[in-house]
Amino acid sequence: MHSVRISTAITVSVWKALFLREALIRLFASRALWFWLLAEPVLHMAIMIAILTAIRVRTVGGIDTAVWLMIGMLAFFMFRRTGTQVMNAVSANQALFAYRQVTPIDTALVRGGLEGLLMAIITPILLLGAALLGYAVIPADPLTVFEAFLGLWLAGMGFGLVSSVGKELVPELGRVIELVMVPLYFISGVLFPLSTLPKPYRDWLMLNPVAHGLESARLGFAPHYHAVPELNIAYLYGFALVTVFLGLTLHRRFALRLATQ
Amino acid sequence: MIIVEDVHKRYQTEHGPGKWVLQGVNFTIPTKLNVGLVGANGVGKSTLLRIIGGVDHPNKGRIERHCRVSWPMGQGSGLQGSLTGRQNAKFVCRIHGHEDDIPDRLAYIQDFAEIGEAFDEPVKTYSSGMRSRLQFALSLAFDFDVYISDEVTSAGDSAFRIKAAAAFKKLADRSGLIMVSHGEGTLKQFCSAGIWINNGKAHWFDRIDDALQAYKENPPG
Repeated sequence: MHSVRISTAITVSVWKALFLREALIRLFASRALWFWLLAEPVLHMAIMIAILTAIRVRTVGGIDTAVWLMIGMLAFFMFRRTGTQVMNAVSANQALFAYRQVTPIDTALVRGGLEGLLMAIITPILLLGAALLGYAVIPADPLTVFEAFLGLWLAGMGFGLVSSVGKELVPELGRVIELVMVPLYFISGVLFPLSTLPKPYRDWLMLNPVAHGLESARLGFAPHYHAVPELNIAYLYGFALVTVFLGLTLHRRFALRLATQ
Repeated sequence: MIIVEDVHKRYQTEHGPGKWVLQGVNFTIPTKLNVGLVGANGVGKSTLLRIIGGVDHPNKGRIERHCRVSWPMGQGSGLQGSLTGRQNAKFVCRIHGHEDDIPDRLAYIQDFAEIGEAFDEPVKTYSSGMRSRLQFALSLAFDFDVYISDEVTSAGDSAFRIKAAAAFKKLADRSGLIMVSHGEGTLKQFCSAGIWINNGKAHWFDRIDDALQAYKENPPG
């Protein structure tokens, strides 16, 4: 009789295998996919910078419009890419549950980790490119920037974990979440500064944890930036903590439902 | 040894819970015994195989596996279309903890599957015969105490089938086997004991011939 592997050893080998597999798919599944991973945010930012500077917005909250946009977008992508990748992890890997070693939570966690790593590579590359073009994108307070991006990654993870279960239980939820992602882009303050809004409306928009992450990241790059006064990074971390644990609990509760469809 | 204890299974349908597929299935499969599952279409043979293989779970009752059990080897499962045959094979090696000897196992799989250069093409470009060749080769590349096979011997063209049957026979002599097949000859060739599934219950027969006879004497319905 063969020796039976302990469960942690199985999980570690599954994560490793899934990670390599996901990385292959994410980078090489179709022609020059790795290039688009980098080019998509670049083009996105270039278009928005062109539009905003064309209508003569030189500075936002005391910092250069281009830098303000770039940081906000990269921070938002950290949340959105992680969130959507994790959300779709279970449905995209349904075929793998033919091997009992692979569980739905494995696919979700590995995808989140991979996306975080990719963004951690893409973000400095893009900022370095911007620095070469003469923009002031060297963070004054790197730790604050790191804290903001980490918080957004965790929030994306939590959002993705919860919605990956929700989407499998109620398929319509997937469509609703995709619909919500577009307005979220606007109300998170990627394209306009939330600090310019009058009081009651601003409080409502600051209920969105992603907005806190974006403002905090900008503040980390330029301490003189006029951030939203209600900025509270602990709120983002609180949201991330609650959703990550809720997501893990949901995955545990519905593990069988997710794997066997 | 595999112990199946009071297993109940029903599937969730769009109109609430469906009818019971398995209703109180009990049996114990000793190590190194080859067992064939017989029964009409839709009585739950594949469901039972999936439950034994650990990829599906009973609504009630439990399964104990005191040995290394393979994944349910059958048609079309467990391969990702956008990855090549080689990449899929590597993945299966890794999740089974064979990180160290991947090259050896890959060589074996490539050699047995005989799909030539297609081994490095995405699986979605494969014909169904090529897919089953790859799956069959994959299933042979690992050492399990018990293999679970859902019609896996009916893979590929006749030349491959002969080769597959020979390899399967060798495997059946070495370790345990639990299989579903509608080919009476296949069952008699590989299995010594049989389980006849009818009306959600499993009936154990020490000889596969008796199981086949019971199946034939009791037409479904």
